[in-house]
Amino acid sequence: MKELLAVELFKIRKQRMTFYGLAAVLVLVAFIMVSAFFQGRGFLDIMLKNIQDSFEFQGDLLNANLIIYLVLNSLWFHIPLILMVVVSGFLTTEYKDGTVEAVLLHPVSRWKFITSKYLATAIFTILLVGILMMATFISAYIFFGGGDLVVFLDGLSFYESGEALRRLFGAFLSGIFIALFYAVAGLTLAVLFRESTITWIVSAFFLIVTTMLLKYDFGWSVLNSYFFPKLIDSWQYFFYYDIPFNTIWIKNAVLFGYTILFALTGIWIFNKRDIKP
Amino acid sequence: MILHVDKINKSFGSRQVLKSVSLSCDKGKVNGLIGPNGAGKSTLFRIIFDLIRPDSGTVSVCSTSNKPLGGFVDKPALYGYLSARDNLRVFARLQKIDLRIEHYKELMELVGLDALRDDPVKYYSTGMKQRLGLAVSLMNDPECIILDEPFSGLDPFGNRSFQNLIRELARTKNIAVLIASHNLYDLGDLCDELYIANQGEIVRQGNATDLFHMASISYRIYGDLFFQSNTLKQLGAEISEGNALVIPGKEGIEAVICNIIEEGCSVSACIPQTSLELLLQKEFP
Repeated sequence: MKELLAVELFKIRKQRMTFYGLAAVLVLVAFIMVSAFFQGRGFLDIMLKNIQDSFEFQGDLLNANLIIYLVLNSLWFHIPLILMVVVSGFLTTEYKDGTVEAVLLHPVSRWKFITSKYLATAIFTILLVGILMMATFISAYIFFGGGDLVVFLDGLSFYESGEALRRLFGAFLSGIFIALFYAVAGLTLAVLFRESTITWIVSAFFLIVTTMLLKYDFGWSVLNSYFFPKLIDSWQYFFYYDIPFNTIWIKNAVLFGYTILFALTGIWIFNKRDIKP
Repeated sequence: MILHVDKINKSFGSRQVLKSVSLSCDKGKVNGLIGPNGAGKSTLFRIIFDLIRPDSGTVSVCSTSNKPLGGFVDKPALYGYLSARDNLRVFARLQKIDLRIEHYKELMELVGLDALRDDPVKYYSTGMKQRLGLAVSLMNDPECIILDEPFSGLDPFGNRSFQNLIRELARTKNIAVLIASHNLYDLGDLCDELYIANQGEIVRQGNATDLFHMASISYRIYGDLFFQSNTLKQLGAEISEGNALVIPGKEGIEAVICNIIEEGCSVSACIPQTSLELLLQKEFP
């Protein structure tokens, strides 16, 4: 298993697709920063028009913490989409090139092969979110500097710079669970559909439906609390005035359970099905 | 016997692609599986490699080695973005083999590839990919190699040298070889035993020379002055400049050649024309 995992990581490192994925993430960060630089101040002025006379803010509100918060919002759609496309490509390109077959012509067990793919995907995802976090924190602080954070979540909330930084960091860590879920779901869809274009379409559809269902009322408390579309907002809870750590832990634990379930389903299907129909 | 396939049946939906297929391979022998496209050759190979499961029947591999079977199905699948060495490294590591530089060079030399070339294999020619695919198959010393259409895309020189390589592997390393092809002439000189597949069935099997002899009812004779031969005209031969295609009938090809030489023709060569259509029939006419 160790060898298989090392091979999978080696392949990820050598594939151009990996670097396109990383580049897309960095371009996204740059785009958010440029947009914020040119349009952010006007937006902030409109948002804070009524309260600017009553409150005194420390420093410029268009600062690194706000930029990091804006980048965090890419966890709703952009980062999961990039992840699902790249990760599903790790398997669909192998189906297309016939290398899945080629590997299994050797004394390699199917379940170990696919499990190592899931593990390599998890490592890649954690690294990608880590790179996103590092790139965002460093570039935002270099170009915008620190300051208080203002967020609009059921109402306006303000956090001092140090407090904001802790909350942003926690939100990124929580975001890892969300990114992992989508990456594993993407790989499972690749196991199911094998063909890259179909997998990408289904992945995008999955992402859209999941995001839409987040605010949908199922009328049953269990579904409203524990169905996976309801668990992809855990990072946002770090921006409530009193952080509900218990809710965050439960959401992340259940989402991680779903991640394992998706992975096990993929492993089972890969093991059970003919490699090529 | 290293490999024995017994009464394999396989259907995809309502279409039965393999019907009670049986075959076996011995060490040091080259076995051929000939059949037209869609005869079920690749499906059979995938079943042997356990890539797909048969509806019924068994595949027995009599081996205690780490890697009883090696080979490729359809075409050698390689990681196009990796170099030859990285490809071999990946496949070696999957099998927990430490691919040392000496072993790498030895493998590349064996299959006739340049060990110093380090560009991605997507830039390799078809023949070079076939050779690299064979190198991947030969890692970890399999006792039987199974190659699906290994000659497709090769030029005549590449084809000949690849055939020599396979023959040498069987003879010197005592490896059992099973090769599938839809081209009769690829396997004619190479195989000891032949299996003829058609529409999912093995319709015929036996010694390659005997089968080819039985299926050779016409001959192409090369030489000169064939237009003046009454014998060829009487046999309804297709005569063109420098050669004639003739079906000799009961008297045999030897008698035909004697007659046309007596008629003043010169003969430089006579090549039997093996009919795949005839081989694909369950009974010879």
